[in-house]
Amino acid sequence: MPKTKYDVAIIGGGHNGLTTACYLAKAGLKVAVIERHSYVGGAAVSRELHPGWTYSNCSYVCSLLRPEIFRDLELSKHGLQIIPYEGSATMLDDGRFYAHYSDHDLNYRSIAKFSKKDAEAYERFSKDVMRQCKIIKPLLKMTPPDPTSFRPKDIMGLLDFAKFFAAKDELGGLGEKEIYDTIRFWTMSVRDYLEEYFESDVVKAHMAGSAIIGTALGPYSPGSAYVLLHHYMGEVDGTVGAWGYSRGGMGSITKAMAASLKASGGDIIAGSPVTKILIKNNRSHGVVLENGDEIFADKLVSNLDVKRTFLKVVEKENIPDDFYNAVKNFKIRGSSGKLNIALDDLPIWKSIPEGDPAGTGDLHITQSIEEMEGAYDDWKDGRWSKLPYVDMCIPSINDPTMAPQGKHYMSVFVQYVPYNLADGGWTEEKRLEFGKHVMNRIGSYSENFNDIIKHAEIRTPKELEEEVGLTEGNIFQGELTMDQLMFNRPIPGYAQYKTPIKNLYMCGSSTHPGGGVMGAPGANAAREILIDLKKQINTHYI
Amino acid sequence: MDNTLSFTKPLLETPFHKRTFEACYNNDWYRWAGYKIAREYSNTELEYTSMRNTAGVLDITPMHKYDIKGKDAIKFVDKLVTRDVTQIKPNQVMYIIWCNEDGNVIDDGTVFCFDTNHLRIFCAERNLNWFSDTAIGFDAEVNDVSDSIAALAFQGPLSCKILHLLNVKNIEQLKPFFFDSFDLNGSNVTISRTGFSGDLGYEIWCNPQDAINVWDSLFKFNRDYKVLPAGMNALEMVRIEAGFIQPNADFMSAEQALRPNRMRTPFELGMGWLVDLNKNYFTGKKSLINLKNKSLTKKLVGLDIQGDKPAIGSVLYDKNKKEIGIVTAGMWSPSLKSNIAFGYVDKDHMKIGSKVFAEIYHPEELEYKKIWAECLVVKKQFFNPPRRHKVPADI
Amino acid sequence: MKKFDVIIIGGGHNGLVAACVLSKKGNKVLVIEKNEKLGGLANYSEYLSNISQEVLKELNITVEKNTSDNFVSALSEDLNHTVLQINGSKNVQFLQTSASDSDQKSFINLINKYDLFARTLRSFMFKKPPRVKSGSRSDIWQLFTMGFKVRLLGKKNMRELLRVIGLNIADDLEDNIESDCLKGLISNEAVIGTNLGARSPGSILNLLYNQATNNSLFRINKFNTNSFLKSIEDICKKNNVEIQTDKKVEKINISNQSVNSVLLNTGEQIETSAIISNSDPKTTYLELVGASNLDTDFIRRTNNYRSRGTVAKVNIEFKNDIKIKNLESKYLSGKFVYAPNIKYIEHAFNANKYNKLTSNPCLEFYINKNKISANVYFIPYLKKPSHNKEQILKNVKLILDKFIEENQILSSLIETPNDIESKYNISGGHWSHGDMEIDQLLMMRPFYGSSQYSTPINGLYLCSAGTHPGGGITGINGVNAAKQLLKDKGNG
Repeated sequence: MPKTKYDVAIIGGGHNGLTTACYLAKAGLKVAVIERHSYVGGAAVSRELHPGWTYSNCSYVCSLLRPEIFRDLELSKHGLQIIPYEGSATMLDDGRFYAHYSDHDLNYRSIAKFSKKDAEAYERFSKDVMRQCKIIKPLLKMTPPDPTSFRPKDIMGLLDFAKFFAAKDELGGLGEKEIYDTIRFWTMSVRDYLEEYFESDVVKAHMAGSAIIGTALGPYSPGSAYVLLHHYMGEVDGTVGAWGYSRGGMGSITKAMAASLKASGGDIIAGSPVTKILIKNNRSHGVVLENGDEIFADKLVSNLDVKRTFLKVVEKENIPDDFYNAVKNFKIRGSSGKLNIALDDLPIWKSIPEGDPAGTGDLHITQSIEEMEGAYDDWKDGRWSKLPYVDMCIPSINDPTMAPQGKHYMSVFVQYVPYNLADGGWTEEKRLEFGKHVMNRIGSYSENFNDIIKHAEIRTPKELEEEVGLTEGNIFQGELTMDQLMFNRPIPGYAQYKTPIKNLYMCGSSTHPGGGVMGAPGANAAREILIDLKKQINTHYI
Repeated sequence: MDNTLSFTKPLLETPFHKRTFEACYNNDWYRWAGYKIAREYSNTELEYTSMRNTAGVLDITPMHKYDIKGKDAIKFVDKLVTRDVTQIKPNQVMYIIWCNEDGNVIDDGTVFCFDTNHLRIFCAERNLNWFSDTAIGFDAEVNDVSDSIAALAFQGPLSCKILHLLNVKNIEQLKPFFFDSFDLNGSNVTISRTGFSGDLGYEIWCNPQDAINVWDSLFKFNRDYKVLPAGMNALEMVRIEAGFIQPNADFMSAEQALRPNRMRTPFELGMGWLVDLNKNYFTGKKSLINLKNKSLTKKLVGLDIQGDKPAIGSVLYDKNKKEIGIVTAGMWSPSLKSNIAFGYVDKDHMKIGSKVFAEIYHPEELEYKKIWAECLVVKKQFFNPPRRHKVPADI
Repeated sequence: MKKFDVIIIGGGHNGLVAACVLSKKGNKVLVIEKNEKLGGLANYSEYLSNISQEVLKELNITVEKNTSDNFVSALSEDLNHTVLQINGSKNVQFLQTSASDSDQKSFINLINKYDLFARTLRSFMFKKPPRVKSGSRSDIWQLFTMGFKVRLLGKKNMRELLRVIGLNIADDLEDNIESDCLKGLISNEAVIGTNLGARSPGSILNLLYNQATNNSLFRINKFNTNSFLKSIEDICKKNNVEIQTDKKVEKINISNQSVNSVLLNTGEQIETSAIISNSDPKTTYLELVGASNLDTDFIRRTNNYRSRGTVAKVNIEFKNDIKIKNLESKYLSGKFVYAPNIKYIEHAFNANKYNKLTSNPCLEFYINKNKISANVYFIPYLKKPSHNKEQILKNVKLILDKFIEENQILSSLIETPNDIESKYNISGGHWSHGDMEIDQLLMMRPFYGSSQYSTPINGLYLCSAGTHPGGGITGINGVNAAKQLLKDKGNG
């Protein structure tokens, strides 16, 4: 391959890398995205792993994708459309189900079935969470200020941070009481937080689900309420906290981004992974691929998580010892499993009537927060949960493109599943046993589920690591705990998308504001690079 | 009336639905507390006129109703609200507001006294949690009885006459803000002389089984005196004329406000007369004592506006074109032949007689006419005829 | 009716300290204590570790110290125990251990790191916590100085502090140390008395918080409890503080949002202009003040305040003097910890989460000849007191049998959090009068509207561990509450 030189090369074609590339290409730079697979997308991919069915085999729902990025990259023009959920439900052992609906009054009556007080409290809870979402929204776009630095940029950043905390613009200002509420929300456990509003076990269990997806925390752990906020702060068409399906699966997002990149003149070099970042005099200047090709670029951006970047493709001698140790200690424990299932028909649930919108959104199986915490206890001991928490959905009900007519694709996200399985680790046998365990549990809630399974892809954190490149299978490229958020993400002192190596940046979910298919890390990184290059760009986000 | 929960029927139907459905020609419904209530049955202006000329019937079943039972029932309500209710007597009704710890108004409503161990509160917003939490430490039980009581408002100059014709015994002697049990065409009902039309009127409370009978009775004399069912649009008109403000319309209920600075104290709403700072402790008393001595930065006032284009949603300015407030509700009043509104003004314009200006955008056949209208600050109670309080009432 | 300037409800150490400060300024003070003995929870330990130097200075007293060598022994199942000698916070020596040299080095480094951070936090401990956005200039200044003190740590240390404040102790230990025994030993300090496990975020903060009020990470007992209590009692006597024991305050009488008297269980009413409650915040507000005097939102916050005890006190008297297998007798005067590894602690914690009794609790104990005085955790506070005390004793004995030379139990006393609740009238039997998690610390302790020792009721103050700086027998709460009262009165 000819020795082309790029202005910027992005290592890894995940959604953040593509976002960074698109913004830089829009600014007129010559950019390339280097992806090891033949397809881009990272954890936002659509794969036809069973003929006729499209699987979103990693991430499965879209909410956090920043609308400004959607607009800037013209993703709609390149084929992306988000279809909002209509409802969600939790199925209980006793044959009942608990549901949320997009119809406000139906939602109230649904909760009131279990507790009238809770139905009323839900209004206040929603309002309080909405308030927190509005407070945190401008923080997502920020490059975290360094609280230890006296540089004007950082002092201004800290003042901005304080300003956003006081939410004068979004909310007209907050008083002492509201500021404490925010601190409490960011530090409490979701269980303690929910107990302040609700009395019914089921109501609490349904709400707590978002707090444990992808995390190495249980609902009783302090800091889990923040994860709830992290999942709620997305929006679909102005409704904060709404989720939706990406039409054609999550891969449509990254395919649209790739198309947008190409339309802006960017290149995608797919098929071979980067084995080494070339560094001389503490400056990066290119990469070497597994197939021997060398690609040179003035600036490099890594979409890989921070561990993969600095423990795999950067040689140790280039990194200061402190930084190296900090990267080694960066917490990235995977706790999730995923099943992708091709179904020959629509599953009939024992408790949910056919046609009920509650069955078209996210479906869960759990009785109480206690049960969810027990699932976490199992994970801590290195076992998959005996009573796993499942976050299931059947996108094909509302998305006509995922499966043949009358047939369906079901995504099952499972908490908790350890990366390091005790008693000898993962084997092919154990993987299948795990899959069976989950499918049996689901089957016991359905009339026909076990009979209509045509194909199942079973993924543990190991598969997520191998195929997607997520170290230890952590879907956020790093845990979302206070010690690794904001100016601590990924490493204190290196939270501004830069690294100890000049011209090497980071843009993945390992950076602020963290994981989920947001695009914010990628866009923020692009902004920092453009500032360094003294280039201007006029978009909605930057 | 089948109210079983099904995703195909998200909304509840009141016990009157069979009749309101027939009467609502346009199928123009409004969602109120999860129920279907007609916004307009036939014609808003006619419905409004019936409440000012003969009588109008409004389905107010979705109002929230809470029973308070126990030894400390009165003590509990006294702790809840800003005014002194300790002297409330059986059959008496009092208009009440309650605040949170900062003195911001949560809701308003009425409290009915059945006896010293049994009170009932009616209000517009859901308050089960607030009431239950306030009842902690009191020998009083709070129960939501909203679904078990059907309710109609029967408002207008002929309301008493028609009830009298229906042989509701001694209805004309019922004093304003009092209630009693009556027999209405064979149904046992509770009637209170209360309402939000600002005119002579009653609220009728009955068992859901008796709903249709009660409804039909009120229209019995329609050959001679035209009574109309009135919808939410008409209600909005009469309540503005009467000077009644509404939570989440004129101010954000303190338990529901997303933005903290949208909450209001009773003083800012002109409801200071409901605040008794000399009574026993009630939620918000400490804050209200502190606030009483501070000058207000904004106040909800009545506005008499030049011209006849309603100022709904208009921004208010002072004579130097500085923004000083906003209109929360407004209308052209057919009865007063005036352009009236409620709005917030700043401290320089709170006194009755002050002049402010409204920037009104009036849609006129696909074009917006921008109008700069002078407004006079007046009392919120625009309409208050003597017949409203007369005892005996006109029959 | 008798009249006082200040009545102090509860004769725990904070109440007594407050009495000292107030009486010194000429106030007529009455202390009312429910039990026969003063001192409250301090009576559970023969020695105390963290009486604040500032408090001793403020009261101008000296307290008898335990001058023997300070030993900490982490018991190991294989009987290769680890023994440390502690001489002040920065002087920790390994006397024996099976941990590797590099582990020992890492251990010391970690201890020093925590010590550095604890010393920074220390400066926040003594003063009353500043409120955010209160408008008060002294609060703003204090917030600023707090931030500044953190900055003084220097870039590297400040970054590390900001990182570990939200981190769990297990992760930091696993990053640095291999030896299970050493990890268990430090974890013990992070989670004892809390509703946190070693893997819970906030466990490091709790450790730092404790250490900030202690002279050492290991809460080595230094001061003689009786000497301390006697010293402050003496001051009270000298200043004519009236102390009534065996009497319980049933209600605080309030009119016009101000205190005017208290009602005792004897029916007696005593008039006063001010009250300091040494009772925990929940009990004070819900029982003594009563909901009818408080705003509904405030009552909500009181109910939401988390105070679930997790430590049981177990005292066992043996027939013969106690000997620990494979441990020199000179170490018997020190502190013993049985928290063998992080997994063990997590499992004990797991059971507590579900309000269940673990069969494998953790222990921290002292030996005095033939007596053991132990803190056993996690023993949950139960809504319906129904602890199987025999089972608890059995579980503890099973553990002790691994280490104690053959001995016979003569008697035992077990006090679960439920017992502590009823004996000392502390909601939830929590020995810090409320969980010490971030959202219940500093200006948020116990909660909004009740911070800085004041309450919504004029003349009523709080001085218990349910205020800043929380638990541990420091006396700081008492001093600060008294000072706030004096300030409000105009002669502080």
